[in-house]
Amino acid sequence: MTTTPDTPVLAIENYSLDYHTASGVFHALKNIDLAIHRGEILGLVGESGSGKTSLAWSIMRYLPKNAREPGGRILLSGENLLQKTDAEIEAFRGRRISMVFQDPSTSLNPTLSLGTQLAEVLVRHRGLTRQQAWKEGEAMLAHVGLKTPAAMMNRMPHEASGGEKQRVVIASAFACNPECIIFDEPTTALDVITARQILDLFVELQAETGVASLYISHDLALVSRTASRVAVIRRGDIVEQGAVRSIFANPQQDYTRELIAAVPDPSHRLVGDALATTDQPLVRVENVSVHYGRKPFLAALTGRKTERVAGNNAVSLSVNPGEILGIVGESGSGKSTLAKAMTGLNRFEGQIWFDGREIRNLGDMDNAYRKDVQIIFQHPDASLNPRQKIGEILSRPLKLFGDASNLDQKVGDMLEQVRLPRTHAQRYPHQLSGGEKQRVAIARAFASKPKLVICDEITSALDVSVQASIVQLLLELQKAVAPPTCSSPTTSTLSARSPTGSP
Amino acid sequence: MTDFIKRLLRTPQGAIGMVLVLLVLLVVLFGPMLAPHDPEALSPLTRYKGPSLAFWLGTDQYGRDIFSRLLIGARATVVMAVLATIAGTLIGALIGTASAFLGGRADELIMRTIDAVMSIPSLLFALLVVNLLGSSTINALIAVAIAFAPGMARITRSVALSVRKQDYVNAAIARGESSGYIIFREMLPNVIAPIIVEMTIRVSFAVMLFATLSFLGLGAQPPAAEWGLMVSEARRYMHLSAGILIWPSTAIAIVAVGFNLLGDGLRDALNPRT
Repeated sequence: MTTTPDTPVLAIENYSLDYHTASGVFHALKNIDLAIHRGEILGLVGESGSGKTSLAWSIMRYLPKNAREPGGRILLSGENLLQKTDAEIEAFRGRRISMVFQDPSTSLNPTLSLGTQLAEVLVRHRGLTRQQAWKEGEAMLAHVGLKTPAAMMNRMPHEASGGEKQRVVIASAFACNPECIIFDEPTTALDVITARQILDLFVELQAETGVASLYISHDLALVSRTASRVAVIRRGDIVEQGAVRSIFANPQQDYTRELIAAVPDPSHRLVGDALATTDQPLVRVENVSVHYGRKPFLAALTGRKTERVAGNNAVSLSVNPGEILGIVGESGSGKSTLAKAMTGLNRFEGQIWFDGREIRNLGDMDNAYRKDVQIIFQHPDASLNPRQKIGEILSRPLKLFGDASNLDQKVGDMLEQVRLPRTHAQRYPHQLSGGEKQRVAIARAFASKPKLVICDEITSALDVSVQASIVQLLLELQKAVAPPTCSSPTTSTLSARSPTGSP
Repeated sequence: MTDFIKRLLRTPQGAIGMVLVLLVLLVVLFGPMLAPHDPEALSPLTRYKGPSLAFWLGTDQYGRDIFSRLLIGARATVVMAVLATIAGTLIGALIGTASAFLGGRADELIMRTIDAVMSIPSLLFALLVVNLLGSSTINALIAVAIAFAPGMARITRSVALSVRKQDYVNAAIARGESSGYIIFREMLPNVIAPIIVEMTIRVSFAVMLFATLSFLGLGAQPPAAEWGLMVSEARRYMHLSAGILIWPSTAIAIVAVGFNLLGDGLRDALNPRT
């Protein structure tokens, strides 16, 4: 976009940022050069830890105490932000430059009404009175597509849905007609349908106001839909930037190619389309319902009726031996709830038929059932105990379900099976990368030679570049051990059948 | 580990606390060897003396050297306080973690019982236990440990509740681990950091509680050189020589302040975000 002759709204020139940690200096950003012109959307794409958010915070001038800036300039309409005093910066924020955060449920104060939070921006930066600000706020909420703006102003954050909250956050970001807005993964915490609507709203408002936008995301496909130019950041370095089309059509760097290759394509499938047909399914789930919350003691005494939250409403499905079944649904639709019921983590009503045996409650799940049904969780950080070595984590299923002889040898074999070096047995989970941790979790699930492995969105917490290799690994193990797999996110590439989940 | 100590020493509280606690530890370990006089040798001719070259901190009402008594009494006072705190912490941590793991009605039952016990002030509770068991050093230790357990249980439970929701605990339940394994191996190691911080702060409370018990005549018995007992005995003679009262009180204060500061420092050092 070098066609516009005027100065860019936001220009970052040769900017570097270091963090001083106890273990030495960490270079978070190295010689960043970026420019965003009026009316332009620049997409900033990179994996977690690549420095995307550090850049956003250094533009907002809100850095932790251990941050040092060895060089460079950040110019907002020609003024160097690095030389501003704290008071000047405070006047800047919200008025000339604002930010939309990833998770609307944490970026809004849960103790103030939505209207109060929106009106505060207007009072502070546009000098309106309370009443004026409230009126203006209502108009803005109507503008961002909320149906009952007057009622919404009086609501508390927990009374609004994620999408509604993000609309309020966007309204307050646009409130003072800033020159530049930073969007830090504004749709990541939302489910697909809401994310789509928020994205449409963003594009619409952007075109209307002509604000310069920096759109940060880990998802290249998402950025390519909105941004005109894309910059790819890796370990604090901008490795490539250019127009979206040219980046997609002709990527210069290997890393960019990897990112593009990792964009899922429904027509590209990793497994055959043939449906396995057998008379005897391995698992049959019949009318399984899960309710959360327990009856309060007092209500039980007085016989008062209580409403419990429904996690699943009479779900029925079946999985054949060797089959991969995908379960798809929005967040909150009950995917994980079903997975937890099947592994004995949630109480349920209804029946599960497993391998010809009827399971009616948690008590029926004996050692043999637990051996045959394994679960892999979404976040490898959370599913591996941070205080246990990989060796101990992997030896537990062997001790519980198999023979406990030759443990070291077997743990090493398991690590090799998921393509990790044997020496990793001596490490703690925090010494491994996200992808490596998920490999350990997979090894643990396959250790007992199960018949059914439940994968609960196992790649969604990982970077795009490792997602594909994890799915590959899973498929190889599936062929070797032949258990069916269910509840997987990259469903279109994996499963032959996929029922859609809703509570 | 060296990284951790560096972080601990970077805060002023941590550094001062560390120095004071190390000093106290040295006295506990080597005090009896360093003591210049026999702590129980009476000498009627040198009573109520002020600090001098022969008696560094003066002498008490029986002419015993206060400095020697402090050095020797450190073991009785500090070691008992630390032991009682560890015992109380262990009991509390186990109850709290188990309660968080069990959840539901069992959790409710345990925590309401703990609340009931906590509503009794810890000094009163310790007095009650000592009165029931009879006054001796070991019973005082048990009393302090029991008085501390409910508070620790509550703190542990609040941390353990968040650990309980982690997927590694779910994974352990899903593969059919025993409750004992989950509580001891999966949960306890992950709640240990806040417990250690709370423990160091509580050591100072224990020192003071022990001193109070001894002061009331329910802990160590004369002629033991326990610091609280020394203060208690000195009370009647303080108009003759203030030193008898001041020095043991100062020693108690140093231990209390040292452990408190170390606890503050540990809290900051164990929290990577500060």
